[in-house]
Formats: sequence, structure tokens, C-alpha cells
Amino acid sequence: MAKVKTICPYCGTGCSMLLSIERNIITDIDGDPSHPVSEGELCPKGLYGFKHVADPERLRTPLMKRNGGFAAVTWDAALDAIVQKLGAIKAESGPDAFALFASARGTNEENYIAQKFARAVIGTNNVDHCARLCHAPTTAGLALTLGNGAMSNSIPELGTDSDLIFIIGSNTAECHPLVAKHVLKAKERGAKLIVADPRLTEMANKAHLWLRVPLGHDIPLINAMLHVIVKEGLHKADFLRDRAIGFEDLVRAVEDYPPESVARMTGIPADDIISAARGFATAKAAATLYAMGVTQFTCGTGNVVSISNLHVVTQQIGRPGAGICPLRGQNNVQGACDLGSLPNLYPGGKSVAHEADRVWFEKAWGVSLPAKVGLKVTEVPNEILAGNVRALLIDGENPMLSDPDIKHFGHALEKLDLLVVADLFLTETARRADIVLPAAGWGEKDGTFTTTERRVQLLRPAVTPPGEAKPDWWIFKTLAERMGYSGMAYQGAEDIWDEVRRVAPANYGGMSYARLDKMPGLSWPCPSEDHPGTPILYADGSFATPSHKALLKPVLFHPISVPEEKRKAFEAPIVGHIAERPDTEYPFMLTTGRRVYHYHTRTMTGRAPLLNQLGPDEKIELNPQDAHELEVRDGDYIKVSTRRGAIVARAWVTERVPPRTVFSTFHYWDADVNQLTNAENLDPYCGIPEYKISAAKVAKSSSAEAKANLASQREFYRPEVERAVALQTHAEKELQP
Amino acid sequence: MNRFVIADPEKCIGCHTCEAACVHAHEKVGLVAYPRLTVTHTKAGTMPVQCRHCDDAPCEKVCPVNAITFVNHEVQLNESVCIGCKMCAIACPFGAITPYGSLPEGPALQEPESLPAVNDPLHPLLAWTVGQRSIAVKCDLCYFQPEGPECIRVCPTKALYIVDDMAVQTSNADKRVASVTAATEGHILQHHQT
Repeated sequence: MAKVKTICPYCGTGCSMLLSIERNIITDIDGDPSHPVSEGELCPKGLYGFKHVADPERLRTPLMKRNGGFAAVTWDAALDAIVQKLGAIKAESGPDAFALFASARGTNEENYIAQKFARAVIGTNNVDHCARLCHAPTTAGLALTLGNGAMSNSIPELGTDSDLIFIIGSNTAECHPLVAKHVLKAKERGAKLIVADPRLTEMANKAHLWLRVPLGHDIPLINAMLHVIVKEGLHKADFLRDRAIGFEDLVRAVEDYPPESVARMTGIPADDIISAARGFATAKAAATLYAMGVTQFTCGTGNVVSISNLHVVTQQIGRPGAGICPLRGQNNVQGACDLGSLPNLYPGGKSVAHEADRVWFEKAWGVSLPAKVGLKVTEVPNEILAGNVRALLIDGENPMLSDPDIKHFGHALEKLDLLVVADLFLTETARRADIVLPAAGWGEKDGTFTTTERRVQLLRPAVTPPGEAKPDWWIFKTLAERMGYSGMAYQGAEDIWDEVRRVAPANYGGMSYARLDKMPGLSWPCPSEDHPGTPILYADGSFATPSHKALLKPVLFHPISVPEEKRKAFEAPIVGHIAERPDTEYPFMLTTGRRVYHYHTRTMTGRAPLLNQLGPDEKIELNPQDAHELEVRDGDYIKVSTRRGAIVARAWVTERVPPRTVFSTFHYWDADVNQLTNAENLDPYCGIPEYKISAAKVAKSSSAEAKANLASQREFYRPEVERAVALQTHAEKELQP
Repeated sequence: MNRFVIADPEKCIGCHTCEAACVHAHEKVGLVAYPRLTVTHTKAGTMPVQCRHCDDAPCEKVCPVNAITFVNHEVQLNESVCIGCKMCAIACPFGAITPYGSLPEGPALQEPESLPAVNDPLHPLLAWTVGQRSIAVKCDLCYFQPEGPECIRVCPTKALYIVDDMAVQTSNADKRVASVTAATEGHILQHHQT
């Protein structure tokens, strides 16, 4: 039996795995003991989430919408139709009437070619991807303060070097189980674990100190820790004098956040805040792990900058085990950002608004490029409704489940003149497309993924794609050629990667496929073939900012609104508040996230029987106190509504959530929490929506209401279309001579 | 002494890999496709709960058809003999026996979105689904595979381990050494102080 070594397609940890192949089908997966992060282990998604590859409902041919249904067509017909329509829209409305959602699930090479297609072929910077909805504040915040919107250290250092780990807003055990393993390793070695989370997550349960911070109150917590650190003289004065800018302003800003008053605001005991601050500042090496519980707020950037402030003031950066670890949720969300699938950045973090950067890429790609910053994912729906965006290409994303305020988003899609979706399946989004393109997926193509720790790793194909499915790079290359652009004469993923190495040499120059093939990846920057990669950033005390110094920025917070006179006391402070607070009509706070056994919209894990058995349906977490008041028993149906809509699902009565807070995932179309989330409240710096807080009401429901809800969701998403189209395309295939 | 698998809640991260692995291993050999351990989340901690293979097993005592027997220091359940009376599940002090049967095949029942049949049983153990013939399901220590329990093999944090005569002896020996050491050190300390 053949074994193929490749990288897990799920979260950003980047575990290495060995696939067993029999007759062109993946039959089993084992961990790879030689990998420094996964060390031979895998989580349930990694071990058992592969059945989608050979699923009979995989898209096998291009499809075009006809008479309300889909008809199988040839690649020629589909691509010609796209080229003709895009040409017409561009001629009538200009290049900015086109927008592209690339994908953090795709490879580095695919993201590179996708953004190049938007910029060089269409002529617009309207290219973005789902990082907008997850780590946009990291990209914006850490780039501002330290120069790189990325994890500063490597994952194994947590286990070997960190002696204090601070987890804030990360459900590490469920969302990054193999990172959690390194945290446990540290704990066994004697490291201290502090967790700040409103939910009693597995890591909170294992912490030496758990700070039950209320939803959205990270800024006052960290400011209070900084207050204690400065008051007690635990800051690193020499480092701050030589290597940082803005310490005086920060000291003034945190003056307002003594632990006693933050304790009143948050309910966290002042002594706990003080002990967290002392522990963090005096640790030999402290690492902070954070994820969506920090970023998915209207003050997401403020939260990230607060974490950066904490690390710079205590000099917990640039050493083994000391650094900031944003845990990326998708296999290649780091790579998609690094390779320029963002409306303001080219590959390698170069800016579209910066003339020298633009000229560099104009020369590399042989065309003139637009200087105007493009649209963010979260701006596109309203721009469609305003008539400014007429064509949208979605390459491997399923926003009809994952984007905020789904009903609004679906309404916007209806107004498009052209919606093209490339994916593995006829997803909830693809069902609304005019043209659907069958894509080759993980296990079927080569390329590279960049993990959360900046480690670029090589993928290897194991089986052939079904039917006529093609890799995304081929789709973009062929479209580009048909639109008259000759700068994409690639024969395969490696050709694209070699171009990436030429246009972004500082990060990738030294990472040839030949080299990556021989090792478990290299961390950027890796400028030359003899460079060992850079697991630890800023080790020499030099930051990637224009001044080469770290920037400290005052971050102010008030749950309702920061008073004007407080803002005026600082030059351009970052301010945070909570956009939609509970009131008498909507007295609960709804927050969202994931479960360990499913991945995002279940396009892949929903095809794995073992994973579906573990998580067959939504279970909304409800505190026992609220359950008692509502007379809800564990497993009863409840209805959760916000100003956007309502869902009905079973309750999981548990202390994991605090009173007056409910938690739901976005895994299931029949109870998708994103029909309830808010698309209007965006972080002003990066446009991330406030997924983590919506004012909600909760009521006891019934089987009858659950059935009615299921019927209406069925009508909205039309799941039966997928099977019908699969049967039809299989039948047509058989009829052909 | 009977052997059993147990988890260390300090190491368990609640990732459910053991449950999926359990289903996978048993399904492959034609046994009921249901997890024989249940990851249980509580305020105090999280770990999977499974059969303790009690030496004086109540399930073995109540089984009316002798489907549950002692075999090679294990409590084993013969799925072909079980009549699904649920007495063992009621008797089990750990909640480690679950009545379950594979669902009948067919497009209508395979619909992932279909709601389970509505029923409001007197007790959760008595819940049922149309067309499903349930029998008792419990940990069998993966007796059919030479590498031992699949859950132990896949656990990413190595939180699961087997307890047998040897493990108890080793642990007791360590504890005795530790208590002698503690007593001796205390004696030396006292000696020095006086």
C-alpha cells in the first residue's frame, strides 16, 4: 500500500500526516513522528476528516445555471461565458466592478495567482479573503506595532522554553489541539498557565489562574495588568528606551485602569489581575496565545495592540519561548495574507498605495497596476447593493454560512450580474452561483501552505481529482490567457512558487521545492538557499517597522463609548467599546465559535461519518442558571434570536458559558449562528465584524418549532439541489459514448 | 485483577479523538459503530469515561442471557448474544454501557438533516429511534487487535493508559518507597534539629 506524506488541510497548526492510498482512494491517515510540531499525533479532524475527497457528490464538471437548475457544461463553455461577461462588465463599469474572494484554504501558489489575476488581469485591488473575518486585526495591529502581522515564535518553543503561557481568547484545546499539547508539555515542565476567557474552556479548566473576563473586555484587563507592571517597576526600562516608541503615552493611558476599578468593571478579582501581571512580567519567557476571542470585535485591532503593548513593555519578545502567538484558524490563512490576497497589500507585505512597491510589481508582472486600495470582504455586500460591484468570483469559500448576517449577504448575491464559485462541492454559496467550477482539492494537488508559525510546508498529491476538476491555479491561468494576459505561462505550482521567490525574495528567496521536500518546512524570512529560516522574529531587538523600533500605542476602552476628553488626551489613540450591548428586549449576549470535531461550514468534515457521529447537530451552550429560569433541560430545543433573525437548536446546559451568555457555532446550515450575527458593526482599522457579541434573546422552543425552522432553512439553502446535480452529472457522464 | 483503560484529566484536552477512533476500530471488525468511551465535560474537569472492568461487575450479574462474562481479566460482552434489555446499563455505576445499534441503511434515513424520531422516554436510557435495534455497547479493550486499545494509540496528549496488575504493583511499590523516603527524611530532619 502506498503512503504519501502531506500536510493536514484543517487548522493553521500544520501537522504532518501519512496517507494510505488504495486504488486512488485515501483509506487511512496516520500521524508523522518526524514532524517537530505534531510529533506523530493528530486530532479527530486530521485522523478521520478525509472522506470528502472521494465523496460521490464532488463536483465533476463545470455547471451553468439554466432554467433555475444547473446544467453540466464543458470547461470551454464555462470559461468563455465568464470571459465574455467579465469583459462586458469591465467595459461598462470599469475594473472595480469586479471583486474576488480568494481562500485561506488554498495554497500559497493559488493565492498568489488569484491576487495577480485580480490586479494584473482585471486591474482592481478588490481581492480579499476570509482572514478579514478572523485575523485581520492581527495583520493590522501587529504590522503597526512590530512590523509583521504574524506569530513571532515557533510552536515547539512553548513546550521547551516558555515558563508562562497566557492564553487569551483562544479555545486552544478545541481549535488547535496539537498546539494545546505543547502547552500541556510546558505545564508538566512547571510553566504557569493563565487563561483569560469568558467561557470555561478546556484550557481555562487546566489553568493555574483563570480570569473570567466578560465578552469584549480584553483591553481594560490588559491595561490593568500594564498599570500594575508600571506601578511596580516591572517594566524593562532599558529596552523601552532603546527599542520602543511611545512608552510615556502608554503609561499615561494605563494610569486610568487600576486593578480595583477594572475589577468593578469586569468582575475579575483585583488580586487575580495583580498576580497575572506580576507573573507575566517576571517570567523568564512568557508567550501569549490568542485567536478569535481577541480579534472578532469592533475593537479587535485595539485588543491585538494591547497584547503587543504588554509584550513590549515587559520585553517578552525576541527570545525562545517569549513572544506573541496569534493562532491561525485555517491551514493557509497566514500564507493567503503573506501572498497578497488582501485589498491593500501585495505579496511579501508590500503596499498597493506605496509607489515604489507598485512599480516593483508593475515591472514584475508587465502591466500597470491600480493604486486605489480595494474592497474588503465585509464591504462587498453593501457595494453590490449600491450597484458598484457587479461580478464576484469566490474561490473556495462558503460565505453563505460563514459571513455575518447571512440574509443580508444572500440578498446582495442576488443582485450580482455574475457570480462564479469554484469549489469542491455545490456548497450553500455555490448553489446561488451563475457558473460553478469544479476544483481539485487537498490530497489532489501540490503546492505549499504556511502554518500559523510562518512555516512554509510542501503538500503532496496522493490521488487524482474526480471527473474534470482542475487545480485553482489552472483555472486562473486559463482565464487570464483567454482574457489576453500572457504573464501566467505556468506549467505547475512550482513555476508559480519560483515566481513568488523572485517577487518576494526577502521572505521566500531561499525556499525552493527541492529544499522544502527534504525538511518539515522553513519559517520566513528565508532569503537565500543557505538560510536556515527564522523561527524567532525580532531576536536582535530590531523590529520590522519603519523606525526599526516597536510602537506602543494607547488603547482606551469604555463599554458604551470612550469620552471625548479622554480621547483628546492622546494623539491618535485606539479606542474600543461594545457595539451591540444587551438591553431589555435582547438581554443575552450571543457569542460564536467552533467545535473540535467539525471545521467551519462542514463542507469537508460534514462528509466524514465519524466526525458527524461526534457532532451530529448544533448544541447551544446555555448556563444552568438561565436554563433553570427558562425551564429548559439539557437537550431541549431553544430559540435564539437577534435583530437579524432566529435559529432553533438543542441546548447544552453547561457552566462553560457564564450566565446571560449563549454560545453557538457556524457549522450547521440548519442552525447557522451567522444568520444572527451583525455585519454592520466593523472594526474601523481592519473591517472585521463583531462576531463575538450580539444582543440576543433566548426562549424555550419545541420539536414542532424545530421542524418548522428546519423547513424554512431548507427552503433558504435548498440542500436537495446538491444531490440532484450530482446524480444528474453522474448520469450524463454514463450516457456519453 | 481485571484490566481497564482510564484517562488522566490533567492531560485530557477533550478533543474526542478517542471516541472517533473507538468507532473506527470497532466498525472495521463488524462490531457496533458507537464510541465505547464518552468524553465528559464537567466544571471540575474533562475526561473520557469507559468501562472499569469491575472485578465484581454488576453488569455481569444482571445480564439474563450471559452475554457479559469474565474473559482473561476483562469483562467482555458478546454483541451477538445481547438481547438489548438494558439491565446492564442501569446497573453500571459509571454510565459506561450505552444501548446503541446501527441505523438501517436507506436514503430517507441517511438524510443528515432529518430530525430524530420524536419521543419523550421516561428515562434517557429508554430513548429509541425508529428502525434501530439497540444492544449494549461497552469497552472491550479492543481485544481483536494485537496493538491493544485504539483510544490509547491515537490520544494526542497520551492521556489514556491501561491499568492492570503490574501497573498497580508498580504504583504501590513507588508509593511505598516514597513513604519510606518521606519518613526517613523526616527522621533525619528531626535528628538534625535536635
